[in-house]
Order: sequence, then structure tokens, then C-alpha cells
Amino acid sequence: MSEVLKVENLHVDFNTYAGKVKAIRDVSFSLEKGETLAIVGESGSGKSVTTKTLMGLNAKNAEISEGSQLLFKGQNLLDLKESEWQKIRGNEIAMIFQDPMTSLDPTMKIGMQIAEPLMKHQKLSKEAALKRALALMEGVGIPAAAEHIDDYPHQWSGGMRQRAVIAIALAADPEILIADEPTTALDVTIQAQILKLMKDIQQQTDNAIIFITHDLGVVAGMADRVAVMYAGKIVEYGTVDEIFFNPQHPYTWGLLNSMPTTDTQSGGLQAIPGTPPDLLEPPKGDAFAARNQYALAIDRQEEPPFFKVSETHYAATWLLDERAPKVTPPIPIQNRWAHWAQLKGNEA
Amino acid sequence: MVKYISKRLLLLVFTLFLVVTATFFLMQVMPGTPFNNPKLTPDMLAQLNKAYGLDLPVWQQYLHYLANAFTGDFGTSFQYQNQSVGMLIGQRLPVSAQLGAQALVVGVIAGLFMGAASARNKNNKIDGTLGIISTLGISVPSFILGIILVYLFGFKWALFPVSGWGDSFSETILPTLALAVSPAAVTTRFVRSEMIEVLSSDYVQLAKAKGLSDKEIVNKHAYRNSMIPVLTLIGPMAANLLTGSVLIENIFSIPGIGQQFVTSIPSKDFPVIMGTTIVYAMMLMVMILITDILTAVVDPRVRLR
Ligand SMILES: Nc1ncnc2c1ncn2[C@@H]1O[C@H](COP(=O)(O)OP(=O)(O)OP(=O)(O)O)[C@@H](O)[C@H]1O
Ligand SMILES: [Mg+2]
Repeated sequence: MSEVLKVENLHVDFNTYAGKVKAIRDVSFSLEKGETLAIVGESGSGKSVTTKTLMGLNAKNAEISEGSQLLFKGQNLLDLKESEWQKIRGNEIAMIFQDPMTSLDPTMKIGMQIAEPLMKHQKLSKEAALKRALALMEGVGIPAAAEHIDDYPHQWSGGMRQRAVIAIALAADPEILIADEPTTALDVTIQAQILKLMKDIQQQTDNAIIFITHDLGVVAGMADRVAVMYAGKIVEYGTVDEIFFNPQHPYTWGLLNSMPTTDTQSGGLQAIPGTPPDLLEPPKGDAFAARNQYALAIDRQEEPPFFKVSETHYAATWLLDERAPKVTPPIPIQNRWAHWAQLKGNEA
Repeated sequence: MVKYISKRLLLLVFTLFLVVTATFFLMQVMPGTPFNNPKLTPDMLAQLNKAYGLDLPVWQQYLHYLANAFTGDFGTSFQYQNQSVGMLIGQRLPVSAQLGAQALVVGVIAGLFMGAASARNKNNKIDGTLGIISTLGISVPSFILGIILVYLFGFKWALFPVSGWGDSFSETILPTLALAVSPAAVTTRFVRSEMIEVLSSDYVQLAKAKGLSDKEIVNKHAYRNSMIPVLTLIGPMAANLLTGSVLIENIFSIPGIGQQFVTSIPSKDFPVIMGTTIVYAMMLMVMILITDILTAVVDPRVRLR
């Protein structure tokens, strides 16, 4: 496997009248070719800001601090000029937006909207770009595409529009595809179709996907690896199985417990009590401590470093320190751990 | 499309009929008479009234007017004796319409550019300066601007002629500018607020994510979308401009229709009042029809039915 993107020590602040909102506080992760990395976390945890930063699309009041690095093909994207960013956007890194009802231009033919990035990045003529757009429309499963290439967005359903948005993102065959809650605005059956489409496309193109969601339910079928974000930080990351069946961070436990499942079940749904901290004044120590029933005294003093669980699995919680008392997680998590032990037993 | 337009034209004729009727009866309740020269003897007055059919009952006058109007005869002016209203308007309307059309084109184009520039530079110096300019343009009456233009360009720098009509194009420049300022300012403000909204829309974000430059985004996506609501503004604006401006026509001694309409009211020149009202109403409705058609052309979501 080869690495296509490496994010190191990313810090993003927003200057507001109330002060600096510390939206991203030291985020690091890497992305391999052909893999899907899911970023999960509650609303406001910084998922969208992280990915907008990768596209150079942050709001004007954003401030990215000096030491941050976004390494893509040997260069730090943060050093790019606007004109250089334009060569990356939609070409090497593309994005699928959340709401297909509002993300297409209502006054432009859909075929043209798909052709646009091709004319821009591959310098295709209008005819050639439209021809390619037709192929892309067929590729994303738009029925009778040739008849609909001159349609306008209002003539299409949400699911079809999201396929068009995906076709736009795929047009220039990007190495990284960012999907920020691509199915939240769609109903459940359409959701499943769109997710399957993304999976199928990935198999053909081998692009890397960053998949953002606050719905852990869709992560299981989609992702290879998961990063859990809380209050502008990644608090735990690992493979899908590691996060689902061997979670270590109490915040991850909370997320898993608040997710409806059919398999490892008992105990019912539980939302995480409390609210995320104010990012104008992030708390000292572990930002999750105030909502964490397993919090230790040190959590309020000092920020936990990442503890290694396996080669691929890390979690930032003092519970993993060897001096920490052994705690018993909630029963559903115990069940998940039991399942994990079974999996491991089978492997051995 | 053809069906839609014929339907709208029918509606236009019906509305026109209502306007004619309302105006006709409203004129009857205006105090005074058209013939108020103190030298006129009662005999002469009676004769005049008879000649113009004013001795008949109102409903008969009304029916006569309608019947004549249908054949294209809008009567003879009381003020300018022996001049038919059709001729008066026919001579003067094209002058006002040309001036108005020039001002409309200049004003709207300037407004589009300034509005877009303002929106793209939201809250910085350029936006602030354009904001001040457009506020001035809206609040300073066009005749004051006209006088300033006459002073600067006509006398101080002597670049353009300051009055007259029909001899050269340069005569039209100053009145066009004076008349264009207010529509330019109104369009600037409107385009600015529309474009700010469009520029923060999801589809503009997506266009950015495609790798388009700001300029490409404005030209390919933002203009078209901000234009749609602007069109509804331009219809009435056009009707207003094409039917002449009294003050500007006075300042620049332009033989337009605006002046005539205003003098026709105190002198109770009924046929001229009626004629110009019809022209105004028709112009407004035709302009709105045109902008509706244009809106349907620009906005695929709008269907003409
Ligand atoms: N332009 C901005 N100015 C100030 N604060 C901002 C700005 N953009 C984002 N933020 C703040 O940054 C934090 C992270 O926001 P972000 O949009 O990344 O959340 P998210 O994880 O994507 O949430 P959601 O699930 O609701 O989409 C939030 O606290 C948000 O209020
Ligand atoms: Mg978000």
C-alpha cells in the first residue's frame, strides 16, 4: 500500500468576534491508496473543517497555524497559492457534498455541470467533455443518460442528483474523494444505493475515500479504517473491526451505544449525556472528561497521549495507561469485546 | 409559448380597458374645466363644449371615446388645438423612449458590474465605496445630478452639448447619464445582495470544489443565478424610463412625452391625459411580459403557462 495523504499536526482556528474558535486542535492521520477512512464524531467535532482544509475551502476567517502539514505527493498543500489549489481541487482531490438538492446549479444543464471540471482540468473541448460526461452519467447508474444529459437539476430526484454530484467529483479521476455526509439528506433505500455506488466505483478506480458521517451505522459497510473525532481532536483510530469490537475510548463507547444495531445488542440506545465543550475555551486535560463517567483525576489535569493498542489501533485515553485502574465498560461494549475475543480466537 | 403570449396579450387588452375606464371616470371628478380662459363668453364656452362633445352625458362621452379608441382615434388635444393625440404622442414618445432605452442599458450594465464587484469584495474598501456611491445615486434626485452634469461637462469642461435633441448623438449623452444614475444605483444594490446570497450557496461551493477560479464562478454560475430576481426589477424600471422624465426633459430641453403629460393634467387636456395613461399602462404591461419571458429563458425552473 502507498500513502497518498499525510496530515500532520493540523491546527485550525476561526477568528470570530467572540474570540478564536479552536476548531481543529492537532489532528494527524494518513490515507492509503484505495482505502476508505471514515471520520465520525458528534456535530461540531470538526469533521467538515478537517476536510474543507484538505480542499483549501475553509471560510475566510480560518487561520491554519504554522506547524500544520498536509502532505500530498511530496508537497505541503498549505504552501500552495490559490491558482495552484485550483489545479488540485476537483482534479486530484474532489468532494461530494451533503445536500444534493442544493449543490447543483439550478440554471445549468446537468451534463454541462459534469463536463465543467473536464474542460477545466483536462482541457477537453466542450463536445469531448460532454461525451465523457455521458459516460460518467452511465457509470454512476443514471438510467437513459443520453436522454437526460440536457436536463436541469429540478427535473431530477434527490438520489439521482446525488449520483450527478458523484459524477462531477469523479470526472477528473481524483486520487482522493471526500464525501461529507453524502447520504444524510437522502432516504434510507436511496442511501444504501449511493453507498454501494461509491464502493463499486472505488473498486474500479482505486481512489482513496474520506467518508464523513455521524452515523456509525453506515461506517461498518463502507470504511476500512475509522477515526473518531471529539472537540477538534482525533481521540481514537483503528480498523473498522478494532473500532467496532475493541473500542478503548469512553467517547467511542458512547458513540457505539447511541447507535442502533441488530447484532451485538443488549441494553438499548443511549445518547451521550451532556454537550461538547466550548471551543473558544477548550478545557484543560481531556476535553471529554466532563461527560465521561470513567474520567480519572488526571483527565482534568493533563491531556492523554495516544496509547498504542495494536499496530493499527491507537486511543487517547488515560484508561490505557498502565497505572490506571481497570474499569468495566458498559455491557454492550463488554459484548463487543467478547465478540472481538472470539474473532481473535478464530484467527489463532 | 405562442399560446402563453396570446393569453397574456388578451389579459393586457382587458387590463387596458379597465385602466381606460377608471381614468375616464376619475377625470370627471377632477375640479375645473379645460376651458378656463376668462375671456371666453358663456356662449363661446357652450360652443366649445359642444365641439368637443363635452355637453353629452358622461356615459355617452365614455362610449364615444371607447368606440373611437378602437379605431385608433384618441381625439384631439384641447391644449394644442388641431393636434391629434395620436400625432402628439407619436412625435414625442420615440424621443423619450430612445432616451429611456439608452439610460436603461447604461444603468443596468453599470449596475451589474458594480453589484458584482461589490458582492465579490464584500465588506472591504471596494464594497464600501460602491455602497456610498449607490446610496448617493438612489437618494440624490436625477435633476440635481442633471444640473451638476450640465455644469461640469457642459460649461466647465465643455465636452458635450447641454441641450437640444435630434441633431447629434452627443446631445443625448448628458441626459442619458443623468437618467441612468438612479437605475444603476438600484441595480447595483439589488445585484449585490442577490450575488452575495448566490456566492454563499452550496452550488457555488461545489463549483469552487471543481477547481474553478473566482472569475469563472462569477461568470458561469453566479451571474445567471443572480440575474433571475434582477429581471423582475428591470421590467417596471424599463417602463418608467421609456415613458420619459419631466425634470430631465426640462433641464435638457428635450421634446419628450414626460413634459406633455404633466402639463396636460392642470390644463385638463382630457384626450392627452387619456392617451398618455394608455401609453404608460401599456408600456408597463409589455415590459413585465417581456421580463417574464426573459425570466423563463434564463431560469429553467420557470415554465410559461
Ligand atoms: N467559519 C467559521 N467561523 C467560526 N467557527 C466555525 C466556522 N466554521 C466552523 N466553525 C466551528 O468549528 C467547529 C467544527 O465545525 P465542523 O463544521 O467541522 O463540525 P462537523 O463535525 O462537521 O459537524 P456536523 O456533524 O454538524 O457537520 C464547530 O464548533 C463550528 O462552530
Ligand atoms: Mg459537517
